Amino acid sequence: MSEGHGFKIYGTPRLQNPCLIVGWSQDVGGLGPKVLDFLIRKLQPQEFAQFNPAGFFSLAGVPVEDNVIQFPQSKFYASEEKDLLLFQSDGPSQTHYEFLMLILDIAEQICKVKEFYTIGGIISLMAHTSPRRVSAVVNQPLLKKPLSEYGVSINLEYQTPLGARPTLSSFLLWVAQRRNIAGANLWTEIPFYLAALEDPRAYKQVLSVLDQRLNLGIDFAELEQEIEKQNRQIAELKEQEGDVHRYITMLERGIMLSEKESEVLANKVAEFLQKRD
Amino acid sequence: MNESLIFYQEPKLEKPDLVAAWPGIGNIGIIALSTLREALEAELFAEIEPWRFFYPHALSIKDGELESLRFPESKFYFKRTGTKDLLLFIGGEQPSEVMKGYEMTNLVLEVALNLGCQRVYTAAAAVAPIHHTLRPRVWAVPNRQELVAETRRYRNTILMGDIEGRGGQGTITGLNGLLLGLAKARDLPGICLLGEIPVYISQFPVPYPKASKSILEVLTDNLGLTVDLSSLDEQAQEVERNIERFYHLIPEEIRERIDQLKHVSYIKEEKPGAITEEDKKKIMQEVEEFFKKRGKQD
Repeated sequence: MSEGHGFKIYGTPRLQNPCLIVGWSQDVGGLGPKVLDFLIRKLQPQEFAQFNPAGFFSLAGVPVEDNVIQFPQSKFYASEEKDLLLFQSDGPSQTHYEFLMLILDIAEQICKVKEFYTIGGIISLMAHTSPRRVSAVVNQPLLKKPLSEYGVSINLEYQTPLGARPTLSSFLLWVAQRRNIAGANLWTEIPFYLAALEDPRAYKQVLSVLDQRLNLGIDFAELEQEIEKQNRQIAELKEQEGDVHRYITMLERGIMLSEKESEVLANKVAEFLQKRD
Repeated sequence: MNESLIFYQEPKLEKPDLVAAWPGIGNIGIIALSTLREALEAELFAEIEPWRFFYPHALSIKDGELESLRFPESKFYFKRTGTKDLLLFIGGEQPSEVMKGYEMTNLVLEVALNLGCQRVYTAAAAVAPIHHTLRPRVWAVPNRQELVAETRRYRNTILMGDIEGRGGQGTITGLNGLLLGLAKARDLPGICLLGEIPVYISQFPVPYPKASKSILEVLTDNLGLTVDLSSLDEQAQEVERNIERFYHLIPEEIRERIDQLKHVSYIKEEKPGAITEEDKKKIMQEVEEFFKKRGKQD
């Protein structure tokens, strides 16, 4: 095991020309953690490094979520078979630049990564029955063409609105650009009323892009079952609740909901799905 | 030189003074320095690379490509005036982490000392029980005893020690204070100039250029500069008009209490005014409660 400033390495994966996939624990629709969990479960990569939380996270106390104490984690996994590197982490609360540099130090200097993808969800005013669109933001134009071949939108225009700030993934993309490491943020649409829940259709969509790009050979049967189950449950709710039926139909027809209608829909879907789980 | 510093030119200066400010209440220091920089047409010569100190505040994506990430800027300017060479440092934001703030402050001092800096001034806000129609005074806090007598001679200025009930004690929060502490540790004389802002205005994110003007009057006296400050008068009038509009929405009894601040004195030497210390506390309590309640409603 080797230990450096801010990290511990306890394995030496043999990788050829790996790509890195980054997912953050806090994400819309649980997209980042769900996609990374799925890849870790299916590909069985070897955990080989982690960051020390001191210096990156506030350790003044620990948060409690769903009655359970949480603790920040930042771990690297490697799949030699798929020549793939995964990084799953909580977003740091301080020294962000050093944190992002450390990810790239390990990825580039130890694992020879030359390309990476970050996973993230974006809230969309869409119906859950509509196809999820994946949009890419690249830091080198050479990635645009291959991604467009997998149906990824590559023409996003965006300026940070007043009061908002860039995401950690955008910051990582910028840091990597300065180091000449090609990367893309993959943003997947998630219907607003699933943003606080789960959206297997979004997981499948972004995994399908990664599968094609990185030849991962993913079996999607499990996710298809989840999608079917969620669709069935929401259809059941639509039958029980007239306003849910009306609001989803409006969204399917491209009609905007009022703030109040959106709130009612999100609350009723959340209440129903959480009870079923 | 530290790798976080980017130099665009290396000015040759004769024993310059440094004037520095980071944003704070009422943006008083920043407005003062920006006005001075513009009036003197001071030249940019260096800046601190921001990414180690700040999280980015804006992103631009064009046609699917990351175009730029913008960070708060921390820039150095210089001006050779006939009377005194000057260094200006304007920080766009204070780092949120204490150690980063310490590191940045040391960088500012490093640049200044390398250019032969003889004295440091910082500019910030002093939250005071004053009325917004009054001319703000400047609270001065030197970083060494020898400067106390000099500071007492500044116009429209009071020393922390001359404020009723403070006994010479106080705290200057943030980097505007830390810079003077670190300067003291390096034996570099310095003075913090704090422009008064009414306590009931300080809780809102509004600029207070009237206090910036008070600071600049003291500063330009000290530096032997003549600077046209009329642009600050215009800004101050605009701000005051907005304050007045808001002021008339406040319930009359609270407004009457605030109006009593026109007669409040908190300087030890002055004769007791019509308002006693007890009255002053009561006024501030009522005013504070009103704004707290209002804040909750908002």
